[in-house]
Amino acid sequence: MRQTERTQDAGVQPPWASPVAMSVVLHLVIVVIAVVGWSWMDDTPEAPPRSISARLIAPQPEPSPVVSETDQPDQDRERQAEEARKQAAEEEQRNQEKAREIAAEKARKAEAEQKAREQQKQREQEQQRQQEQARKAEEAKAKAKAEEAAKQKAEAEAKAKAAAEAAKKREEAARKQAELEKQKREEAARKAAEAKKAQEAAERKRQEQERKLREQQLQALAEKARAAEQAEAERQRQAAAAKAQEARMLSESEKYQGLIRERLSRAWYPPSSATEEMTARLRISLLPTGELASVELVSSSGNSAFDNSALSAVRSLERYPVPDDRQTFDRYFRQFTIEFNPRRLK
Amino acid sequence: MTDRNRTGNRRLAWSALLVLMTIASAAKAELLIRITEGADSAIPVAVVPFAETGNLPADNNVSRIVRDDLTMSGEFRTLAPEKMLSLPSRREDVYFRDWKILGQRYVLVGELKKNADRVVARYELFDVNRQERILGETASASVNSVRSLAHHISDKVYEAITGVKGAFSTRLAYVTLETVNGKSRYRLQVSDVDGQRASIRLESGEPILSPAWSPDGKKLAYVSFETGKPVIFVHELATGKRTKVADYPGLNSAPAWSPDGRYLLMTLSRDGNAEIYRKDLQTGDLRRVTNHWAIDTEAMYDNTGDGLFFTSDRSGGPQIYRMDSLGAEPRRITFGSRYNARPRPGPDGRYVYYVHQRDGAFHIARTDLKSGQETILTRTGSDESPSLSPNGRMLIYATKQDGKGVLTVISVDGGAAFSLPASEGEVREPAWGPITQ
Repeated sequence: MRQTERTQDAGVQPPWASPVAMSVVLHLVIVVIAVVGWSWMDDTPEAPPRSISARLIAPQPEPSPVVSETDQPDQDRERQAEEARKQAAEEEQRNQEKAREIAAEKARKAEAEQKAREQQKQREQEQQRQQEQARKAEEAKAKAKAEEAAKQKAEAEAKAKAAAEAAKKREEAARKQAELEKQKREEAARKAAEAKKAQEAAERKRQEQERKLREQQLQALAEKARAAEQAEAERQRQAAAAKAQEARMLSESEKYQGLIRERLSRAWYPPSSATEEMTARLRISLLPTGELASVELVSSSGNSAFDNSALSAVRSLERYPVPDDRQTFDRYFRQFTIEFNPRRLK
Repeated sequence: MTDRNRTGNRRLAWSALLVLMTIASAAKAELLIRITEGADSAIPVAVVPFAETGNLPADNNVSRIVRDDLTMSGEFRTLAPEKMLSLPSRREDVYFRDWKILGQRYVLVGELKKNADRVVARYELFDVNRQERILGETASASVNSVRSLAHHISDKVYEAITGVKGAFSTRLAYVTLETVNGKSRYRLQVSDVDGQRASIRLESGEPILSPAWSPDGKKLAYVSFETGKPVIFVHELATGKRTKVADYPGLNSAPAWSPDGRYLLMTLSRDGNAEIYRKDLQTGDLRRVTNHWAIDTEAMYDNTGDGLFFTSDRSGGPQIYRMDSLGAEPRRITFGSRYNARPRPGPDGRYVYYVHQRDGAFHIARTDLKSGQETILTRTGSDESPSLSPNGRMLIYATKQDGKGVLTVISVDGGAAFSLPASEGEVREPAWGPITQ
């Protein structure tokens, strides 16, 4: 822009000094520089290989130094000086350009060197970085390993601790159990001892009771024997005293027994089903007059015809022959038993 | 321990009580009178004439038949109606004191009614001393069978007093012989036990012997000479059908039924000597039971139906032998005299009855199989053909009365004899039939 403006202002100057020419030249220069600089700029350093292995690269040509445009003077102020300065500037520019070229060359070289150095440095750094990485990796690995080990150790420790605790608990339980059993045993032993004691006491009591009982029984036997002796003596005395009376009564009674037997034998009709094995017993109660007060079948023959024949016989007598002597009657005939048994069938 | 003590105490208490009782009874010595013999006479029974309503057959006096039946048994003594103080027919009219004064033990009262063509009897038996009714029943029969009704009442009264089934409703079979113009007529007859309602079942000019009742009372086996030789027949009474069961060469005699009616024991001489055989009436099989050179005859099954009694002269004269089972070794039963024959075992297995000869006279005797004791039951002298009533309480036999053959019934206890009314001519070979319902 600025070049366009300059060209318009220089219409009266030589063609070569015209602004258009100047602009063209300048532009050409710039283009050249740009092309050269582009190609330089394009020549970017290769990305360092990711691998840690270094590769020697052939040194690149130094790029031309870039013209800085930051110091261009203000258009208005420098328009007169511009003309003058144009010559010088052009010369200067040429020189500068030459110098710049040299400088650029130098700069390029320096740049290359610098670059090489930087690359070297980069490589070194890279190498260092890689080493560092490797180191770090190593360290991380080591650390991980250590951590793993630590972890394992911790786990082992935890396990060991747990095992220890479990063992402790078991021990505790076993201890408690043992304690409990001990208590139980002691309790049982105590109880057994008590039971034994009680048993012994009971046994003593029982023996005591048995002893007492034996004594009582012996005493009772002795008393019984004494009583029996006394009774026997009494009986003998009474028997002796009553003998005469008894004999008298017995003979009297026997007489009437015979009479009753005779009367009943005549009154009894054993049925034809009777056998010698049949026996019927009847209890008879008489009045002192000899009349039948009651009769009761106390033992059946098992044959109702037989029993009935006996009952009929007993009831058939209007009056039983009985003694007049009341004592003998009471003694023998108030109540007595009659047995019917056909020992001799007709 | 305590229990034992208690038991011991209780035992002690009982023993003490027993001792006391013994002492008491000893002190009191309660009298015991033993009666081992009964009255020798028959039981006095009053059979009061039955009250009658309706037009009843005049010739069939039930109370009289009952009276005769009881008398015939030899175990009862009946009171003649004219001696009775009253003639009650119901309990309310029975005054026990009156009957006691008359010495009666039992009183039978009853009444008869005609109901259409049947006669109904209601009767009661009382024990006079105990003043108790011991029997009461109502029974009936057709007008033509009043005798059967009376025998039925006799059976019931007999059983109520003696405890033994009555046998008055049974029948007799016997053979009569009538000689007219020098010709003999043999008749096989069947009658009631009192000889009434006799009917002729077979008539022949040749002898008929040894009638024997089948156990069911429907058939008779007998020996008939009608073919000129002794042949055993079985005769069905209802139909008159006759079957020849033994017609072997020689002797065919003395038929006797087995208790189950299947077999017939008989005497045959088909093998040359009189031996006992058993014939199976179903199959006709004949089995020889005895095998001895002597005469073996008159076999009868014992009460068990396993063994038998028979007559044999193997010891020299006729004696009774017993075989415990068919084919077993025979044992001699009678020893009392040189002649004992025609055994008839009693139904209770205790006695065997037979014809016994002593001093030239024939009697009926019995031997107690338990004790071996022999008792002579008849005294008439020409007694033969004993036959027992099925209840074992009466025995009928043939004897001679005024030179004429008659049948006599006695009590096996040797009580009063009762002669059956003699028909024309001789009566012989009685056979007492079974109790049938």
